[in-house]
Amino acid sequence: MKKTVLLVLVSLCFIVSFSAAAEEVTIDFWHAMGGHNLEVVNTLVEEFNNSQDQVEVKAQYTGSYNDTLTKTQSAVQTGTAPNIIQIYEIGTQMMLDSGIIMPIEDLGKEVAGDNSFDWDKFLVPVSNYYTIDGKLNSMPFNSSTPILYYDRDAFEEAGLDPNRPPQTFAELKEYARKLTIKNDDGTVERYGFTLGIVGWFVEQMVANQDATLVNNDNGRSARATASNLNEEAAVRFVKLWKEMVDEGIMLNPGRGWDGANQAFASGRAAMLIESTSSVAGFTENAKVAGFELGTGFLPRPASANRGGVIIGGASLWTIADHPEEELKATWEFLKWLSEEEQQVYWFENTGYFPVTKAAVEREMNNKFFAKNPNYLTAFLQLLLSKKAVSTQGALIGTFPEVRQIVEKAVEKTLEGNMTPQAAMDEAAERVNKSLKEYNQLYK
Amino acid sequence: MQKLNYRSHSLVPYLLLSPTFIVLLLFLYWPSINSVYLSLYKQAPFGRNKIFVGIQNYVNLFQDPAYLNNLLRSTFFVIFTISIGLIFSLLLAVILNQNLKGIKFYRVIFFIPYAISSTVAGSLWVFLLNPVAGQVNYLLDLAFNIQVNWLTNSFFAFLAIIIATVWKNMGFNIIFFLAGLQAIPDSVYESAKIDGAGAITIFKDITIPLLSPTTFYLIIMNIIFSVFESFGIVDIMTQGGPADSTNIVIYKLYREMFINFRPGIAAAQSVILLALVIIVTIFHFKYGTNNVHYQ
Repeated sequence: MKKTVLLVLVSLCFIVSFSAAAEEVTIDFWHAMGGHNLEVVNTLVEEFNNSQDQVEVKAQYTGSYNDTLTKTQSAVQTGTAPNIIQIYEIGTQMMLDSGIIMPIEDLGKEVAGDNSFDWDKFLVPVSNYYTIDGKLNSMPFNSSTPILYYDRDAFEEAGLDPNRPPQTFAELKEYARKLTIKNDDGTVERYGFTLGIVGWFVEQMVANQDATLVNNDNGRSARATASNLNEEAAVRFVKLWKEMVDEGIMLNPGRGWDGANQAFASGRAAMLIESTSSVAGFTENAKVAGFELGTGFLPRPASANRGGVIIGGASLWTIADHPEEELKATWEFLKWLSEEEQQVYWFENTGYFPVTKAAVEREMNNKFFAKNPNYLTAFLQLLLSKKAVSTQGALIGTFPEVRQIVEKAVEKTLEGNMTPQAAMDEAAERVNKSLKEYNQLYK
Repeated sequence: MQKLNYRSHSLVPYLLLSPTFIVLLLFLYWPSINSVYLSLYKQAPFGRNKIFVGIQNYVNLFQDPAYLNNLLRSTFFVIFTISIGLIFSLLLAVILNQNLKGIKFYRVIFFIPYAISSTVAGSLWVFLLNPVAGQVNYLLDLAFNIQVNWLTNSFFAFLAIIIATVWKNMGFNIIFFLAGLQAIPDSVYESAKIDGAGAITIFKDITIPLLSPTTFYLIIMNIIFSVFESFGIVDIMTQGGPADSTNIVIYKLYREMFINFRPGIAAAQSVILLALVIIVTIFHFKYGTNNVHYQ
């Protein structure tokens, strides 16, 4: 008798545990957050997994944004695509055209039937970027914009007002000139300004003058067919860049971010334009190096209209080809990520913007911005940006390539073998060709 | 009876060769055929749309001045890395061939660069060539009071990747030259000395000709190295910049495939590259062997 009871109990245990295991849906999440941010993502995922027992999220770091996109492509072709992928903002058009995604708004409203979700909870400049054809396509996740960083002590030393960072191109040049220290033998001890050769900065500077990067309202009213790179906004900025490098008041650290960051952190350059996601790092560094960090908005030509900045960073996309229960589980996780608690945690630990209004309000109430004015600079610049297609950001199917074309044009200009206008003419022509080829595939 | 037996075994060699053939087919011929096939199409990212375009991809490439420049640049790159690399390696191999105390230790040191990955090698050179904190500029500044913008100037960036590639492959070349040098019998040198030949004459008229089989092999291997494997170094050090000055064929191909997501054009480039390497190798075998002396 005892044996029978035991047997029944054991088998019951099995059945219960088995069914419990069967109920838990596993979803794969591929992301490109390395280093410190990798830990932050893992902490968030772990917390979500512990908070309930229906969904198990498996996060996997898949290399850079570009690597993640490449891996997703091959995974899609072999039928092993994950449920959620993090794709950089310039991959947006490519994802829309991919035919593999499910717009997040469809996922929430139709698949999950979630009527309680507030679709207006996102910051307008953020949701504007990812809203195409009246629908939010991906879940905003890590967002950033560029701001001007400067060494306040160096400003005082050079007789400049540290409370008044340069606002126009002319001022940027004038300040850089004053901040540059040259040795007797002609070598430069400290440059006034530095900027890594990254296409993103040109895009931002164009938006900051309220101009578009491509035609058809930045590719938002119809597919982009022509580039505006050879128009005044972009050319003016590249020209300034060249003039400042030629004059020896701006350091050219080469392509990429690292060189410029090192130069600013080590005091080789007194001003720098970089992503807001570096605020924490630079603040920490300034403390160690013993100077006070200042931040300001991006400068623009005095004569240009006030535009603003475009949201950069990445968002989370859902892949449609999965069973319904996995899609529902995906929604649960994405919804959870957009909650106030998680947003604040993400913001405070990574420096990327929280993407919801509630999180910003909470940070304001607990005096986070009062204590960290440099974060406020980043927010105000974003929120004061004009609401227009220029600051909504361009949609280009071959954006990764376009960025490289721009970088090459800047390099050609700085090397002195081309005038800014000629280099940008060539770049525009290359972009047009690239757009034409891309558009042919989606007729 | 014996003849019959022999015939019944005629399948054995093929059977024994079959593993090799299977591997070659799966990993070499099949992908190559696939590349040719892919190069005739234009494909959308994620493989969604595919349009047959015939030889349009090739036509586009050969009409693109950037691509033609790229081919020319790659040719220079290959010629420079091979000639500089082989000369340096030979000189070092001769030195390392001396019977000195602790010579094995030095041989190991010179081989190490070949053993590390090109990513690590590239990163090392980025550190060394850093304009502000790099050792190279520090020494140049001390010695000649000059500062070189190694990776932001087209000319110096090209020079930098040549130096790094030469340095990286030197270990391999040295090992083979050393083996070649040690295979030359002492008797040859001795009789030359008796005939009154000087050190330079011996090197020029005995060492170099007798090393020619090694050199021949190394040239082929170095072509393959510098065409295909310099990718890692370029990717880490310059990403093809500034202004394309270090963009060589293999790197352009990579960008086309994995950044621009254009499998068709990338496949066309790889087919062209394959054809070029085959042509160069055939020429080398045909005309290069004239100068090769086997003992």
